[in-house]
Amino acid sequence: MENEIVENLKDFLKENLVKATIPRKRRIFVYIKKSALKNVVEYLVKKLMFKHLSTITGVDLGEKIEVIYHLVYKGSITLSMKVTVSKKRPNVSTITDLIPGAVLYEREVHDLLGVKFEGHPDLSPLILPEQWPQGVYPLRKECKLKQLKEIASKQSKKEETN
Amino acid sequence: MSYGSTIKIPFGPQHPALKEPVHFLFEVDGEIVVDVKPRIGYNHRGMEKAFEQRTYIQNIYLAERICGICSDAHTTCYTQAIEELLDVEAPPRAKYIRVIIAELERIHSHALWIGIAAHEIGFDTLFMYVWRDRETVLDTFEMISGNRIHYAMNTIGGVRRDIPAVMVPKIKKGLDFMEKRVEYYLNIVQTEQTVLKRAAGVGVLKPKDAVNLCAVGPVLRASGIKNDVRADDPYAAYDEIPFNVITHDGCDLLSRMLVRCEEMLESTKIVRYALDRMPEGIIRVKVPKKVPQGEVVSRVEAPRGELIHYAKSNGTTKPERYKVRSPTLGNIPALCKMLLGGYIADIPIVLAGIDPCFACMDRMAFVDIKKNKEWIWTMQQLRKSAK
Repeated sequence: MENEIVENLKDFLKENLVKATIPRKRRIFVYIKKSALKNVVEYLVKKLMFKHLSTITGVDLGEKIEVIYHLVYKGSITLSMKVTVSKKRPNVSTITDLIPGAVLYEREVHDLLGVKFEGHPDLSPLILPEQWPQGVYPLRKECKLKQLKEIASKQSKKEETN
Repeated sequence: MSYGSTIKIPFGPQHPALKEPVHFLFEVDGEIVVDVKPRIGYNHRGMEKAFEQRTYIQNIYLAERICGICSDAHTTCYTQAIEELLDVEAPPRAKYIRVIIAELERIHSHALWIGIAAHEIGFDTLFMYVWRDRETVLDTFEMISGNRIHYAMNTIGGVRRDIPAVMVPKIKKGLDFMEKRVEYYLNIVQTEQTVLKRAAGVGVLKPKDAVNLCAVGPVLRASGIKNDVRADDPYAAYDEIPFNVITHDGCDLLSRMLVRCEEMLESTKIVRYALDRMPEGIIRVKVPKKVPQGEVVSRVEAPRGELIHYAKSNGTTKPERYKVRSPTLGNIPALCKMLLGGYIADIPIVLAGIDPCFACMDRMAFVDIKKNKEWIWTMQQLRKSAK
């Protein structure tokens, strides 16, 4: 079954598929080119029955940020599909029009890693406080604990004086 | 009745419906909710960042504290992720113990929820009954692990405590009692007008919406979708234990109550089966402190639904990235859908209907039984005393 899915993806994506691995039963990892994201999500949801999106993970790779979409086939096979975006211009198109359940997951990755999901209906802060300084993304590697602690103590002082 | 114009009502972060901070902005037309905007994060503790700063052993204790009620689900998910990265497998007996703890946890979590739901619909007698009976499960946990909530049973490579034969009859006695009580509650939910009037046809989530909005757990199963990680993507010893995945197709609050009640009955059967067939042998294997490079996706059916962890290791003693998605976040878009078109008066019970996870507090209460005094420590005082 897992092999069949990977073969289907290879046929559909052709040169847009960078790499595909099956580490164990019911787990697939695929690396794809960013430009193909929308098409392949539509194909996965409508043709291959990957209806459920478990979550979206963002990983800081240094120069780049990796966005991983964890899609599930009939509750069983988990396909982790990866695209990479550059840190300088971390843009990727939204998939909320194809999977409405992605709306909060995209906002979470936007808050914590600064990935901009183009076409998302509302990217206002979901997790971070309103007064959070712009351009500080807690889950990026350059964001150290010391800096986060300073921001937090500044904010709690502000609240006390209010 | 409609007024032809709408008004916006902020709800929370502190509010009477739940003991957990969450904010919703409701737009209402008369008594009817026409728009919902959620805002979470009031309890964000930066745990994913904290995972990167700690060793794999320390992270077991961090994972345990993600949630106060489904603590075992998080450590099961964490330890099986790290075991997969290390390419080790927990011994068969440990797998059975993990199932027993997970199902006992499901019983007490669902019992907690039924109590809260009863309270929200103004049926406090049922609330008191359920929470009294739930103590039976908590006492069982105390006997097995010494703790009522944070059992700390899981470790990388197995479990930390065995369930000796002498405990088995005591656990079974508790299960017999719980089974009888849950059958009684199931009867109440099905027949009592107090429940039916407030739950039937309220907070509707159609199957199509449940799938599109990626709902999980009992919420999804109450909309007739037969998905359960235990059956579809088996972990621990679930592939060796027969059980039914409970679904109802009412798509409303009543169905969510029925699914949870019947799941409790199913859980008592699973625990009994596992206790009878627990293989003999060791309960843990030794594992190295350094974890080789790799990445893994780990899934568990927590009491509230599908729980997913993603781990990436870099060959050191600390993870490169650790991601946690708890079932409550997965159910928030579905919750917004349920509230639309409903009455303001139904907001608390529909909100409670997805069983949102209770927040952990940032201070601790101490009770001195001898002096019958109670006091509260702030985090600073606690740090001072620890030094």
